Formats: sequence, structure tokens, C-alpha cells
Amino acid sequence: MEKLFEQLAYCIEFGKINKQSPYPPNMKDQEGAGELTGQLLDQGVSADDILQKALIVGMERVGVKFRENKVFVPQVLMSAKAMDAAMIQLKPHFANNPGSQKGTFIIGTVEGDLHDIGKNLVSMMVEGNGYEVIDLGTNVKAEVFIEAAEKNPKAVIGLSALLTTTMNNMEKITIAIKKHNKNTTVCVGGAPVNQEFCERIGADNYSPDPQGTVEFLNRTVA
Amino acid sequence: MDNLKTKHFTFQLKDLEISVELIEELARIDDSMPEYSRFLKEEIDSTLSLSQIEGGYTILPAQLDQNTIHIGDHCFNVGKSIANKFTNSTHIAIFTCTTGPLISDRLKELNSQGLILEAYLIDLLGSVMVEKAMDKLQAIIEAECTSKGVNITNRYSPGYMNWDVKEQKDLFAFLPENFCGIKLNESCLMTPVKSVSGFIGIGEKVRFIKHACQSCNSTNCLYRNSKNHC
Ligand code: B12
Repeated sequence: MEKLFEQLAYCIEFGKINKQSPYPPNMKDQEGAGELTGQLLDQGVSADDILQKALIVGMERVGVKFRENKVFVPQVLMSAKAMDAAMIQLKPHFANNPGSQKGTFIIGTVEGDLHDIGKNLVSMMVEGNGYEVIDLGTNVKAEVFIEAAEKNPKAVIGLSALLTTTMNNMEKITIAIKKHNKNTTVCVGGAPVNQEFCERIGADNYSPDPQGTVEFLNRTVA
Repeated sequence: MDNLKTKHFTFQLKDLEISVELIEELARIDDSMPEYSRFLKEEIDSTLSLSQIEGGYTILPAQLDQNTIHIGDHCFNVGKSIANKFTNSTHIAIFTCTTGPLISDRLKELNSQGLILEAYLIDLLGSVMVEKAMDKLQAIIEAECTSKGVNITNRYSPGYMNWDVKEQKDLFAFLPENFCGIKLNESCLMTPVKSVSGFIGIGEKVRFIKHACQSCNSTNCLYRNSKNHC
């Protein structure tokens, strides 16, 4: 069993989706995340164990390598695809057991800003690490974040901004969220954002990369 | 140099000479990755070939001091390092350029089909398109200036170094409303997203300084130290 878990983690780490997928070339014709997940389920392993002991392990390795510039966006996206191939099979099991995810993360690009690649990467990484992610899209107003937080009381909110001007909106939104409920945790990120800004606006965590948010969530939520 | 009216140009994607290899290199798609060159070629040759790539500029007299550039009754606080690059400019070409909205529409489509890697490549292609179109526009400005016996500086944009993005409001005040179909929102974000704006300095004694990654403060930039960028 342990061996299958490790094989599946490896498929996630290196983006091996399924047997037909030619990527990565050194795993050609080998089984991928899709097949291995199916086998584990057939053997009666719980969806939760598959998630915790294989998928998250693989995704975490990718996150760390991405932070260290050892892999780049395309490789992360291949891993996300492999993750999807596994999650499609696990989701029906989770539906009967909603407590199985580590927590909920609500993410959006702040009002006035339309950039979304960075936000999407954070969203994929957090999801791949076992959290439910609610992606509110781009150009998201404070009210929409607050409404989503009310529906998901323990959720952590992630805000993304790519311009210094839209960072002002990040500040407005953080203040509005905290005013509504001072216990809501807010994470911030995006190219011009930094630790000093995070502290000044009263947000709870800044990270230059997705893995930092995952680690913060693991420390505080999971 | 006389005050000139706004000039407007359209560009064809095929004329921007964007190679599939360039996009793959910038995306850091190496040989081990699945084959995306056919997809990219198809997008460049057909799907995105109708992109309304456009750009334009207006040339106006300007006065410079240590940190600022005065044009008409506007004072642009470009900061010392950018002001330095404009030394000896007597005029400024105020420019903007865009890929048009087709890229964003295509991105939505690909994302909704779960084609995330393809979407990433198209996003990158869009960024390269607007920069390449800007290279063409800059060459047009240069040709116009050279024919009049004056030189140009490199191009500089609000939001870089110490030049606040907010000054894009003033910059666009010098261009006709809805110029090139570009709209600026309250936060100074341009739509279509793949758009740029900025200044090029003009004067007999200006110097063209090539962009150098080492002197830029954007340390986590996508293009930093890429062979193809500088
Ligand atoms: C490509 C690019 C462009 C392209 C396309 C933009 C696009 N996204 O579609 C073009 C050429 C069109 C462009 C234009 C402009 N750009 Co530009 N651009 C970039 C560049 C080089 C890369 C952006 C990118 O795609 N990165 C890749 C993604 C994956 O990274 P990311 O979004 O930052 O996300 C990562 C992290 O930030 C983080 N993250 C993101 N969100 C979140 C959220 C949370 C919660 C967490 C934890 C982490 C996190 O995780 C992600 C993965 O690591 C950046 C430089 C840079 N350092 O990034 C400048 C940059 C974003 N641009 C900048 C500027 C100023 C502009 C212009 C205003 C310039 C101008 N006047 O023409 C225009 C504005 C365009 C507009 N529509 O209004 C500035 C913005 C800063 C500022 N001063 O406001 C930057 C930062 C460059 C700089 N000066 O340092 N740009």
C-alpha cells in the first residue's frame, strides 16, 4: 500500500496524468494518477487517506520546488492536471463526508484588478493541498468576500492584486472584512505586495508564493 | 519639432514575427514537456490572427527637471531614475498600445474548458504580442524622429521604478477618449488587459539606454534575465 501511495505522490509531483499521457517522457506507458487512484479505491482505501498520504504529499513537493525556482508554471499546471484526474474520482466520496477537507479558502482578485494567473496558481496549490477552494474570480468587491465568508464561517480569505493602485483596494477590502468580523483571517499576495504592506493594512499573512499560504493554512487551520 | 497630432496604427499578428519557440522559452517549456508548438502555431496563424492590435502616440513639447517632466499644464512625477533617462529631451512621445480584447475572450474559453496550460501559454503570448507591437510602434516613432534629425530614448511606463501607476490618468488625458479602444478604470487598470502605456523622450542629444535587468527593481519578474528579453 505504502508503495502505491508513493507512486501516486510521484505522479502528482511530476504531472503524470494517466497511462496515455506522454508526460513526463521517462514515465511513458506507465500508469498515472488516474489509474493509481482507481486502484487504491478498489482496494478499499479511503478517499481521505488517498488525499492525505499521496496527493497532498506530491502537491507539497511541487509547491516547494516552485518556490525554489526548480520548476516553473507549466510543470505546476501539469501537476494540477494530474491532481484533477485523481480528485474527479475522490470527489463523490467526499460529497458523503464533508468534514474530510482540511478547511475552506476563499480567493479572489480585488476590485479594480483583472489579473488572474497568479490567483489561479494559488487556488490550484491550496486545493491540491487538501482544502476546499471557493474562487470568486477577478474584480471582486468587499461585499462579495464578506458574503462568501458568512456562508463559510471558518474560511480563510485570500486576496490577490497586481498593481500598486489595486493594492489600495486590497486595504479597503481587508478593513471591511475585519470590520464585519474581526476573526476572519485574510492572506494577501501578488507581485507588488510585501510583508510591510500586509502588516500595515492589518492582514494576517503575506506570502510571495502559493506554498507560503499553504504552510500558513496548515499551521493555523488544519 | 512641431506639435503633432495623435497618430494611430494597427498591426497584424503575423507581422509581429512571434515565434512559437520564443513563447515556449519564456514559458520555460522544455523538451520533456508535451508538444504545444502545434497548438501555439494554430493560435497564432488562425484563432488569434484577427486580434485588433493597435497603438498610437502624440508628440508634445516637454520641460524636465530632476524628478519631473512637465507637459502642457501637467507635471509627471516620474522619479529621479526615469527622469535621468530622459535627459536632454525637448519633446515626449506619449504612447499606448494594445492587443485588443480577443486574447481575453480566448483565455476565458480555454479556462472554461479546463485547458489551463494552453490558457497560460495564450496569456504569455498576449504579453509578448503587446510588447512586440510596441517595438514596432517605437520603430515608427524613431523613424519619424530620425527623419527630422532628432533621436529617441527607450520607452518607460508608469508603474515602473518610482513612477506611480496613478499617473496613467494624466497620461491618457493627452490621448483622445477611448483611443485604441483602451479604457482606464478607477484603479488605472487598462482594459483590454494586454495593454501598455508610457513615454519616449525625443531630442537631438538624448541617449538610448538599453534595458538592463540588473537596474530594475522587479526582482521576481517573469522575463528577468531571459535571453530574449533584454
Ligand atoms: C507580464 C506583465 C505584463 C503584461 C501582461 C499583464 C497580465 N498579467 O496580463 C503587460 C505587458 C500587458 C503588462 C502591462 C502592464 N504592467 Co505589467 N507586468 C508583467 C510581469 C512582467 C509579469 C506578470 C505575470 O504574469 N506574472 C506571473 C504570475 C504567475 O505571477 P503573479 O501574478 O505575480 O502571481 C504570483 C505571486 O505574485 C503570488 N500571488 C499572486 N496572487 C496572490 C495571492 C495570494 C493570497 C498569495 C499568497 C500569493 C499570490 O503567487 C503567484 C505565483 O507565484 C510583472 C512583473 C512581475 N514581477 O511579476 C509586471 C507588473 C505586474 N506590471 C506592472 C505594471 C506597472 C504594468 C503597467 C501598468 C505598465 C504600463 N503603464 O503600461 C501595465 C498595466 C496593464 C493594464 N492592463 O493595466 C507592475 C505592477 C506594479 C505597480 N507598480 O503597480 C509589475 C509588477 C512590474 C513592476 N514594475 O515591478 N504587464
